[in-house]
Amino acid sequence: MKSYINNYELWCNAGDIKSLMEAIYSKNSALVEDKTFLKDTTAGLGIMEYDDIYSLMREVVTKVLKNSNLDNFKNTLLILGSSVGGMQECEDIFYEQKSYKNIDPNRLSMNALTDSLVKEFGFYDSRAISTACTSSANALLLAKRLIDVDAYENVLVVGADGLCRSTVMGFHALSVLSSTKCKPFDKSRSGMNVAEAVAVVLVQNIQTNNSIELKGVGASSDAYHMTNPNPEALGAIVSMQNALKDAKLSKEDIDYINAHGTATLANDKVEALGVEKLFGNSVYVNSTKAITGHTLGAAGAIEAIVSCEVIKRFLIPPQTGLENQENLNIKINKESVKMRVRNVISNSFAFGGNNTSILIGECK
Amino acid sequence: MKSVALNIISSAKIYAPNKIEDLDEKRLAPNMMMRRRLTRNSRIMLYLADKCNFKGGKIVYGSCFSEIEETAKIANAILEKSMLSPTSFQNSVYNTAPSYFSLINKDTDEIITVSSGMKTSLDALKTAALQALVSGEKILCVCSECINIKNVEEINKCTDFLEAGAAVVVEIAKNEDNAKEIESLHVTGIMDSLQDLMSVVNMHENGTDVIRIEL
Repeated sequence: MKSYINNYELWCNAGDIKSLMEAIYSKNSALVEDKTFLKDTTAGLGIMEYDDIYSLMREVVTKVLKNSNLDNFKNTLLILGSSVGGMQECEDIFYEQKSYKNIDPNRLSMNALTDSLVKEFGFYDSRAISTACTSSANALLLAKRLIDVDAYENVLVVGADGLCRSTVMGFHALSVLSSTKCKPFDKSRSGMNVAEAVAVVLVQNIQTNNSIELKGVGASSDAYHMTNPNPEALGAIVSMQNALKDAKLSKEDIDYINAHGTATLANDKVEALGVEKLFGNSVYVNSTKAITGHTLGAAGAIEAIVSCEVIKRFLIPPQTGLENQENLNIKINKESVKMRVRNVISNSFAFGGNNTSILIGECK
Repeated sequence: MKSVALNIISSAKIYAPNKIEDLDEKRLAPNMMMRRRLTRNSRIMLYLADKCNFKGGKIVYGSCFSEIEETAKIANAILEKSMLSPTSFQNSVYNTAPSYFSLINKDTDEIITVSSGMKTSLDALKTAALQALVSGEKILCVCSECINIKNVEEINKCTDFLEAGAAVVVEIAKNEDNAKEIESLHVTGIMDSLQDLMSVVNMHENGTDVIRIEL
């Protein structure tokens, strides 16, 4: 059974998908330099306008349902990918009251987010995946496999993460947070920008006029270090190779790679090496995190949606923020490139050396 | 919806009211620097994987609250305006335990981490069944909860055992004739997030080798 991405919507620092694509193509970063979280310095952050993560998720899911071929989600499996779940609300209570007493443990868990959607939309079943920054990429991986084996006709993947003090300050403690807007793949890059987003993708077993095919998924573990990637890029390469194998495609079939591209020194160096070893300079590669920031558990779903738009628009986006490319053996475009985009690989990598690659492409 | 039959190849469980003693860490994590960084969930996971004789391959890990001890350390450090530990932050993600297993055992295969509230272990079993079906391989499904943190009594209303875990190694059964639905063989006082897997472990200990589960 084939899997198709038939509908999607998102909300991030740049707004909805239409606004985000405009920002990406015009190289208009939606990142801000903010003092909210860090006392002595700024942090480049991707902050979105919203009331709370629960109502925002409901709003975005409602839009996807409205634009889909479904009347409801009663025969749909919900798979959520998130790295912080309900922590945003709970840490606010803790910092205000200096106690756990008024924290509802059920509101802390990842499942707090799925529960709210199940109550609102009545999904057939739900599950929540939390593998840090690959969470929603792994939700997409499972969605494809469930459709492959004919277990479900419809799977709704939701990637959702709100900004938390603990994540911003945690990345700061790791010394990987940039005080300014990030510059993926640039020689002078100084780190990543933490961001927040909600992204919703409807994966189905039927093709519609608007479909993009979810052709392959791949994953691997580095088994190298908790936060640093394997310097030979072995995990990243295997992840991309597994996606190609699953899709029964070769590297020559790929036209664009939407990179994990966080702009940390380690990630971009290793990911560029992985792309170089596997593809040489035959494929365009860049990171849209220069616009969105790193939306953590939502990143896989956000970037899968961006990749769908790239295929539909016949337009490879430019790399925002790039001045001096570090690895000159890969093809990073500073301006948009108009061309038929047959297939895209979207990479997501996470703490623990957890790697996931999603391969999507035009339908035949 | 589709269901599959799973052979239970091996199983293990462990729990304690406060802290599980002797998880055989020195043998399972011989590198001292690595061992010192291990979270409680990681130690329990290593122990259970060893008891299941699992050396490497695809892992599905489940936990409702996962590394809450590290999360609490971070929150308290922020509250007290003290230095935030980078190790605590890197150890606070939900895939910490299986990631340490992969580091120690040089396991480069896939890791999926499920956190579905009180049905975490059921969803972990479903995910393990999917992984077994797609890959044709043996899958380790392991779940744990470690909520033995300072002031946990302020919020703990759901368990008598602050540390607990269970694990099975499964593969797709070729013969489905004797497959049984998961029975409710709960361990009283264990957090609900672990009970489905505890039940499967208990079924295996009572002689059941094949279970049926919906994907």
